[in-house]
Amino acid sequence: MNQERASEEKPYRRLETQALLQQIALRHGLEAMEASENGHLAWVTSGFPVEIPIALDMGVVYPEQAGAIVGAQKIGPEVCGYAENLGYSQDLCSYARASIGSTEKPDEVPIGSLPTPQLLLACNNICGTVLRWYDAISEMTGAPVFLLDTPPIDKVQLPHNQAYVRRGVERLIEFIESHFNRSLEDGRIREVAELSSRATKLWIRALEACKNKPSPLNCADRFLTMAPVVSSRGTEHCVEFYESFVAEVEERVKNGIGAIRDERVRLLWDNIPPWHTLRFFNILASRGVVFPADTYTHAWTGNMVGTDTLSIIDEVVETYSKVYLNMGLDAKVDKMCQLIKDYDLDGFVMFSVRSCKRYSLGQLVSKELVTERTGVPGVIIEGDMVDSRVYNEAQIETRVDALLEMLM
Amino acid sequence: MDMGIGIDVGSTTTKGILLDKSGNIVAKSLMLTGASAIEAVEKILHNISSSSNFDLNGIPVISTGYGRARVELAEKSVTEITCHSVGVHRINPAIRLLIDVGGQDSKVIRVGPTGKPEDFELNDKCSAGTGRFLEVMARVLGVSIDELGPLALQSKTPCSISSTCTVFAESEVIGQIGAGKSAADIAAGVHISLVSKITALSKRVGVKEPVCVTGGVALNPAFRHHLSKQLGVELWLPEDPQLTGALGAAVLALEEN
Repeated sequence: MNQERASEEKPYRRLETQALLQQIALRHGLEAMEASENGHLAWVTSGFPVEIPIALDMGVVYPEQAGAIVGAQKIGPEVCGYAENLGYSQDLCSYARASIGSTEKPDEVPIGSLPTPQLLLACNNICGTVLRWYDAISEMTGAPVFLLDTPPIDKVQLPHNQAYVRRGVERLIEFIESHFNRSLEDGRIREVAELSSRATKLWIRALEACKNKPSPLNCADRFLTMAPVVSSRGTEHCVEFYESFVAEVEERVKNGIGAIRDERVRLLWDNIPPWHTLRFFNILASRGVVFPADTYTHAWTGNMVGTDTLSIIDEVVETYSKVYLNMGLDAKVDKMCQLIKDYDLDGFVMFSVRSCKRYSLGQLVSKELVTERTGVPGVIIEGDMVDSRVYNEAQIETRVDALLEMLM
Repeated sequence: MDMGIGIDVGSTTTKGILLDKSGNIVAKSLMLTGASAIEAVEKILHNISSSSNFDLNGIPVISTGYGRARVELAEKSVTEITCHSVGVHRINPAIRLLIDVGGQDSKVIRVGPTGKPEDFELNDKCSAGTGRFLEVMARVLGVSIDELGPLALQSKTPCSISSTCTVFAESEVIGQIGAGKSAADIAAGVHISLVSKITALSKRVGVKEPVCVTGGVALNPAFRHHLSKQLGVELWLPEDPQLTGALGAAVLALEEN
């Protein structure tokens, strides 16, 4: 009873569907182990067109997600340290260091080390580091690397760019087919694309529900519930999860229930979260601050509506070339301004992540442009998503407090 | 009795101000923070009480600065960004840009017409653009921190100190000493290096006149000379540049009554 009361008094509300997440994570982990034992597990980057390996019945896991888990367990410095002991620089992406570190010492990282891969699938639409990182994992595990090269685009994808990426996707299919002796069935890719689209559409519905006041979800809620749309797009259980999730979110909206109890300030979050300090959002929740939108979880909103293998490949080419991090600075600024307008936000917090150059580059300029165009103030805070050694809480607090004093 | 106390617990010094209901300064105190912020705050309150002959019980206190959370008797804590902005607005409402360089941080604040900050930038995790940089260099040159500025102003041909890192710049200064450069030229180079960091920070916020400088480093004439030159603007210096944050906190404390 006492416990219930304590939980009742928390400034934020826990989602019922969070319990389902643990089941999905467990199931995903078991399936990955089985795939690895049977010789067909692929490690994939977060922006990879996962529908292709899934349609070819490969098991898939995400080292970046494993990095987030390492961060959330607050063992980032130790695990990154294992990679640094091998000679990798502390300036290297902490997802890469966590991945290399946990591959080097899997017994030291029981939750967060991944089963041995037989294939490494990297797409550089999120950054260039993935290629060298997967090369390093390839050296350690013997698994071959396939790089899907998606040159950055500004606002429009030009025909030559489209043709180049299309050839890459075709080569990807040929590569998996020949290495694992299987062939892509038209019916199966359609089924996977359809399931992927359904999951993504449900995810978008949940994100857009946050336009309501109070917002039914805060940043930390979305960072946790995004896991299936990142790692299990194209599967039945992913769709099932989001059906329950959207039902809970829409129920909150219907009853005017917010993610936090006393919503007073609505902010935008830019970049990957500090996985080791997600309580950052809960502390702010106690002061009436909610984050109804962020650029990170909105990155998984590409939608595929193809009717056959060829048209699905076209969709893959467009969707995965146009991810947030593969676009120019103007597109990023446009997106942030649009989110501030659509979600009626009062200000923004940009997290400058030292690990993620691709995400953080240009934030000084974007901050100025976003304020100029929207009239709302913002602040840049510095740190890292996994490596808490470069996260200075006192400095971050001063900057965020000053922003709130400007708003409240 | 409608009065207000502002306490600014900085990394190097702790400052306190007592204001009466008309906003006049009744008492002020400044001392080194030392190893214990709590003890420094106690001493500051004692000093204010004894110099004003007021019993401070019941007077609202607002704390600011990096040690603001350590002031237990404070009604609330407010960031130094807001307090400096409010403080400088109280002394000179025309000011639109405030450059505050303290012991371990430097900040540039665009002050709104009502005294509220409109935008701000702080130095990053590096101490190169702060008072600490000058302290380290003064030690290497064998002069006191108060002598460093006047020494630098004697220079006709400042040395170039290229490094923006305090530790590397220290080695560079030792190298210049070894090369036979005069202490005045080295000191001038040190100030120009510091000012270039502050100038970059100021330009990020946008230089809108009139511009005010505060913080301990504002007392240094060579810093003001080179900053004014690099920014191309006149700088306004308040009477007590180190007390602006505490003054802003005291103004906000007065509003608590």
